Amino acid sequence: MNKFKIEATPERCTGCLICQLVCSEIYTKRFNPSMARIKVDILGVDCLISFTEECNECGVCVDHCLYGALKKIPREKRK
Amino acid sequence: MKKGGFAGRVLYVNLTSGEIKKEPLDLDLAQKFIGGLGMNLRLAFDRIKPGVSAFSPDNPIVLGTGPLVGTSLPATSRVYAVTKLPQSRAIGWCGGGGMTFGCLLKNAGYDHVVIEGCSKRPVFLKIIDDDVEISEASSLWGKGVEDTCTSLWDTFGRHAGVISIGQAGESMVSFSMAFIDRTSTLGRGGFGAVMGSKRLKAIMVKGSKGIQVADRKRYKALSDELLNNIREYPYLKEWQDLGLVKSIPFIPKELYSKIKKRRLACVSCPIGDKDIVEIPDGDLKGLISCSTSVVNLLTPIVYGFKDYREAIKCISILDDYGIDMFEFFGVLGFAKELFDQKIISQDILEEEIRLDSLHSMETWARKICFRDGLGDSLADGFEGIIRDFGKGAKRYAPYIIRGMLPYVGPRGPLVWNLFGTMELGQALDPRGPHVGASGSPTYFAKRPLGQFPRHLIRMGAPKEAISRILPGLDSPKGEQELKIGRLLNYSHNWFCTLGCLGICARAQINRFYSASLCAKLYSAVTGIDTTAEDLMKRSDRVWTLLRMANIREGFTRKDDALPEKWFEEPAFKDYLSGNRVIRQDLDQMIEDYYDERGWDVQTGMPTPRKLKELGLKES
Ligand code: SF4
Ligand code: SF4
Ligand code: SF4
Repeated sequence: MNKFKIEATPERCTGCLICQLVCSEIYTKRFNPSMARIKVDILGVDCLISFTEECNECGVCVDHCLYGALKKIPREKRK
Repeated sequence: MKKGGFAGRVLYVNLTSGEIKKEPLDLDLAQKFIGGLGMNLRLAFDRIKPGVSAFSPDNPIVLGTGPLVGTSLPATSRVYAVTKLPQSRAIGWCGGGGMTFGCLLKNAGYDHVVIEGCSKRPVFLKIIDDDVEISEASSLWGKGVEDTCTSLWDTFGRHAGVISIGQAGESMVSFSMAFIDRTSTLGRGGFGAVMGSKRLKAIMVKGSKGIQVADRKRYKALSDELLNNIREYPYLKEWQDLGLVKSIPFIPKELYSKIKKRRLACVSCPIGDKDIVEIPDGDLKGLISCSTSVVNLLTPIVYGFKDYREAIKCISILDDYGIDMFEFFGVLGFAKELFDQKIISQDILEEEIRLDSLHSMETWARKICFRDGLGDSLADGFEGIIRDFGKGAKRYAPYIIRGMLPYVGPRGPLVWNLFGTMELGQALDPRGPHVGASGSPTYFAKRPLGQFPRHLIRMGAPKEAISRILPGLDSPKGEQELKIGRLLNYSHNWFCTLGCLGICARAQINRFYSASLCAKLYSAVTGIDTTAEDLMKRSDRVWTLLRMANIREGFTRKDDALPEKWFEEPAFKDYLSGNRVIRQDLDQMIEDYYDERGWDVQTGMPTPRKLKELGLKES
């Protein structure tokens, strides 16, 4: 199990899709938002961020999000 | 090495015959013109019959994105279109922050889309990877931009890119625009009307093919470094939180935080300067508006709106109809003046024109969009009013450049009266007065000249050009001078570089890029090794081709001249001395510009030598 879990703060998300781009490139060698393991849906004011079952919490998307909408939360601290 | 970046295909659609073709992208040609904006222009140049009317079925719309679009590089989102524009009658570029559209178009497997002909019935172009269809749009026709997008998203899912027009484009209002994902604008100058003339309501794209980069290792190193620079930029957070509000005094920050719901970004943009706002109280409580910037939403305050909520409502209405707000207020201001001068009579006016009233502006927006009564003249812009009210009207017109209202000027809606490249650029961009292509260090007024060389090198100007742009910079006693005309040449080339690659040209983005970085990124992504010098030469080629395209349309040196009214008080001020800019100064700047470009200083024509150097045939 990974050392951390990913937590999303959709209020901060701008829909820039960098997370989807980098995730897809790492695992498919192509920038392809439809193949990303993270899904960002901005519907009007609302935003939904979800992860597919294949997500292995590698954290690459977190490292690339420049808006602070994704965070790594250490597992030890979570009860 | 394998090639990357490009999707590798061009989609050709003929709305008259219904024919749809997918052809491989001519990579040699794309390289010559970099891609994106440059390749759009090249494809359009080959297809536009000189003298064709903007609304002719033969006027093609060439739309496309650059080789970096769809990668994770910062703000590589741009979508450009080239077509003959109705307001200036020039072949011009239109560009927008592409939201998701450009990325998805590439993912569907196309770098460019060429749309020709005219449909008998309203249609939208549906592109889902290889499945391309000209689809019936009678249920969308008559809808605003918002409803058109929502309706397409309801059918095809939210992960579709949509370019659509509103009712203004349908009625071929000469200053109508198209909107990308209902947020970004495409086409001051009448791009919306060109789509409307083809009965093309929208273009919807979904794609799942992915985009490959040629050299992943090099790409990663370059992109990591770039991302770090952005992370360390001291004003990043402020830009992300406030964007333009940071530097526009008429919007109190407290007001912005009260209405701000979310900032939106085009694909891969680290700044995200688009806005979703919600009105928190009053009669308009709950109104949600999505805009290219909150600054646009509040612009009616400049025209006298007292209640910011009504200002937001007003722009939401204009955006939904798909109208260019600057031209709208300009045209109505002119009509009001003609009424005050008794050239337009009360019975023709029917409804009062008040630039500070929501009710009045809403009424006139509707009359223009549906060409109702006087709205029919107004829908054809300044030209329509002068056509219908004769010479007597003309003397009251504001200064007009290529049929349009310049928006940066001592009497334009945005007051910047120091004369820098953005001011001069309004005269020298064939598409009509626009500031988009003319950014430079003069963007920030009073920036010390000592800082210019660094920026010039960043923008790809060769070292030897610096002493031509800034004569006297190194001489201790020498008069400081700044040659705006010469500087503009490099603004245009730098804009072309960014536009061809697909990088957003906004100041807050392009500051992270340089010509040499662009060359490295282009090489890593496409696998075609390129130097900065090479890239700038190709940009030079692109802007010169734009000139040639418009010379072919009959434009001459005369069309670069500015109207006499521009020099009346309050006049522009010289960037350095603050002295009034007079016509002779301007003529000199234009000559300097031609000279720096290698164009004939008298005629403004690219010289045969220049054309040969750029590998462009004389046409
Ligand atoms: S990178 Fe961050 S801000 Fe951008 S879409 Fe993903 S979660 Fe949202
Ligand atoms: S954590 Fe890794 S696998 Fe999961 S969505 Fe992010 S990049 Fe993809
Ligand atoms: S700065 Fe604005 S227009 Fe440019 S890419 Fe970012 S969000 Fe889009």
